[in-house]
Amino acid sequence: MLVVLAVPLLIAGPVTQPAQAQSETVLRVALIQEIDHLNPFTASFSSSAMIGRFAWEFLTLPSAEDATPTGGVAEDWQASDDKLTWTFTIREGMTWSDGEPVTAEDAAFTFNRIMSDPKAAEANGSYVENFEKVTAPDERTLVIKTKAPQASMTALDIPIVPEHLWSDVTDMAAPETDELDLVGVGSGPFVISEYRPNEIVTLEANPDYWRGAPQIDELQFVKFENADAAVAALKNGEVDFVNRLTQAQFDSLEGEDGIETNQASGRRYRELLMNPGATNIEGQPIGDGHPALRDVEVRRAIAQAIDPQVLVDKVLGGYGELPGGLVPPIYEDFHYMPSDEDKFTFDPAAANRALDEAGYRKGPDGVRAGADGRKLEFRLTARSSEDYGLRASDYLAGWLGDIGIKVTKNLVSDNEVDETTSSGNYDLALSGWGTNPDPDYILGKQTCASLPATSGSSSSNAFFCDETYDELYAKQAAALDPATRAEFVKQAQARYYEQVPSLVLDYDNVLEAYRSDRFTGLQRQPEGEGQIMEQTGYWGFYGARPVEGGAGDDGGGVSAGTWVAIGAGALLVLVGGGTALARRRSAADDRE
Amino acid sequence: MTSPAWQRRRTAAGQLWREFRTNRGGLIGLGVLVAIVVLAVLAPLITDEGGLDVITATGSPLEPPSGEYWLGTDVDGRSVLLLTFWGARVSLLVGFAATILSVFIGTLVGIVAAHFRGWPSAVLLRITDFFLVLPSLVLAIALSSVLTKGIWTIVLAVGVTSWPATARLVRAQTLTIESRPYIERATALGGGHGHIIGKHVLPAVLPLVLANTTLVVGSSIIAESTLSFLGLGDPTVVSWGSMLQTALSSGSVTAGAWWYLLPPGLAIVVIVLSFTLVGRALETVLNPRLKAGR
Repeated sequence: MLVVLAVPLLIAGPVTQPAQAQSETVLRVALIQEIDHLNPFTASFSSSAMIGRFAWEFLTLPSAEDATPTGGVAEDWQASDDKLTWTFTIREGMTWSDGEPVTAEDAAFTFNRIMSDPKAAEANGSYVENFEKVTAPDERTLVIKTKAPQASMTALDIPIVPEHLWSDVTDMAAPETDELDLVGVGSGPFVISEYRPNEIVTLEANPDYWRGAPQIDELQFVKFENADAAVAALKNGEVDFVNRLTQAQFDSLEGEDGIETNQASGRRYRELLMNPGATNIEGQPIGDGHPALRDVEVRRAIAQAIDPQVLVDKVLGGYGELPGGLVPPIYEDFHYMPSDEDKFTFDPAAANRALDEAGYRKGPDGVRAGADGRKLEFRLTARSSEDYGLRASDYLAGWLGDIGIKVTKNLVSDNEVDETTSSGNYDLALSGWGTNPDPDYILGKQTCASLPATSGSSSSNAFFCDETYDELYAKQAAALDPATRAEFVKQAQARYYEQVPSLVLDYDNVLEAYRSDRFTGLQRQPEGEGQIMEQTGYWGFYGARPVEGGAGDDGGGVSAGTWVAIGAGALLVLVGGGTALARRRSAADDRE
Repeated sequence: MTSPAWQRRRTAAGQLWREFRTNRGGLIGLGVLVAIVVLAVLAPLITDEGGLDVITATGSPLEPPSGEYWLGTDVDGRSVLLLTFWGARVSLLVGFAATILSVFIGTLVGIVAAHFRGWPSAVLLRITDFFLVLPSLVLAIALSSVLTKGIWTIVLAVGVTSWPATARLVRAQTLTIESRPYIERATALGGGHGHIIGKHVLPAVLPLVLANTTLVVGSSIIAESTLSFLGLGDPTVVSWGSMLQTALSSGSVTAGAWWYLLPPGLAIVVIVLSFTLVGRALETVLNPRLKAGR
């Protein structure tokens, strides 16, 4: 009967320490997504990538104000006339948190490691694909030679790690690389000081940070099992920041005392992956995707059977933008929106016709089968930790059912979604990626070159490999004139859109909330309108400072809804417990 | 059908019903149960299943109760009343199926362990003890996450984790029955194992098994709701547990949508309470020891 006890515990959330003593200001952030790795070479979840952004400084990074490149480890940078050689001047006097100086060798080591070790290329490999040679002629000069001109040179979203620690690592995928003696030494505004998987990641302020020490002492990421528990904790003052709110939660937090909400255009897109026949980089098939999905007609029919407007309106409650290409509209220069004739409009009848014509006939049970007789029965893999995954899968199953495709929902943990999608063991899957101001990263993930070397490495997004796309990608990477480049970026996205290895479903608005009675100065990116958490950079929490005389813990913020939930849980416990007692008594009575 | 044995059994059933009738709690429980079962069975006839489809749902999200939607709507604009209605089918189906499985295993193990003394008994009892000390929720979670998701997985997970109590109970009862002189007489007259178990032990144990069954159904329903609440249920059907899960994950709890939480929660309470009332009443009637206490 322990079964029932789980209910109220889940609602009340994990037990966190009450507000810390005044001497230490700790900004506690609720983390609903799981952490895959802290090792910055392999950390590909947004949550883990974000933590890496606090702990290790970049060469250059997008500024908080308008996302233009600003100096990090490099204080100055210059491109040669042919745009093939980039020279970065390393900032003087920067040190690692263990006291060693930050030099050009550290940066050269980081890039070279990613270029030479496929396992190290997992998270950020797409940035260095075009690199020919990275050298450090002296301690303060870094020279990068590229094979072709590359437009994203000032937006390399790669944490620079200390060579003196990481050069000893032989296996980048080993679990030891997530341990503190390795990841605990950084150069960013905060340094990782504690990691308990599925519980907490603590970062301490780095007093020697070159921009100046942060004004808070600690940054804690506390794992929550579900968003509702995190929201209850925010209301109670147990955590100070919550992101990825659902619309219902966001609406309920608006106007709450001491809490500030933030709605911003997101830099993430959501997509429905459709396994186009996953292969590894040598072209050998991997995974167990359904063969019918290799047929572009089937993928297009699926795209036509789905109504993104309904998903945005109902599942996201309107807090999202309608889809087009891979780059979200927040980066308007590169955003691709198909014209009306190219667009997949919601039309189940047309989708049915297209499938009939392509030879997928409906069987007596209403499920179509291909020429090989294999039924169009697809698994739909989605995250069970996320409201979107739980609910959108119902809609998708319904729509695809209408065109004779049977969908079996497969709701699993974040890590399992990651494993199945990166090993090609999926038919359909709900996924999504965060994009950067520079589109190179996200576009690079769709090239043949980023197909996995070993099964399970996650460099390719949708196992897309298309010659036309690769050409357009290479053209945009080489174009240094912004307008020409934007044109190629859009053409590449158009090709992707038309081939639909994945269908973009929407661009989520970012819905965040924080305790404005405890912290202020949280920097948005872009300034004034953007998001605070999961930025491209560390600005959001770096700028945070405690409110003078701010309320620590007001305690009384439990909402009526929470009480109802607790009440319902308690009732269950009572009944369950009562039954258990009754059962036990009868058993005891009957025992010999 | 008119053999003396059957006549005797019919009289016993009549006697059972007369005694059961005197227990008011049991009667109320039975009434509620019959009503729920009839409604659940008739659900496809009296309601429109199309209302469960998120795509065709007509309401707006999280509407409070109104004349049109008596219990309000869920996050997808579906009627909570309709969802609760259909959720009863899954809960009852899983509750009964898991109970049948559990009671079958339990009765089999219990009778065999008591009838065949010696090493078969020892082995079976150790297995029973093993399952008894194993936390059943953890085992059920493990089973339902390893197997493919679906109603029958839940049935299996709940069924194979909840039988040990029944096995212990049945074994105890079998032992008391087998120690009676008429069993010895039957053995002396040449009755084999099959005869003794089938003709004497089983009929004598069955009433107790029946009472136990009604109690197990209640806990199976709770177990099913718990597994669905934890996201391990069948994702294609609506059950009370999955309603609670969606309510929580979509943030409806925070938004104060009590009408989304209370119906499935109360439904679980009512149905489990009814089964417990009936089970306790049956037990009072059938268990001689409990009867003597009155």
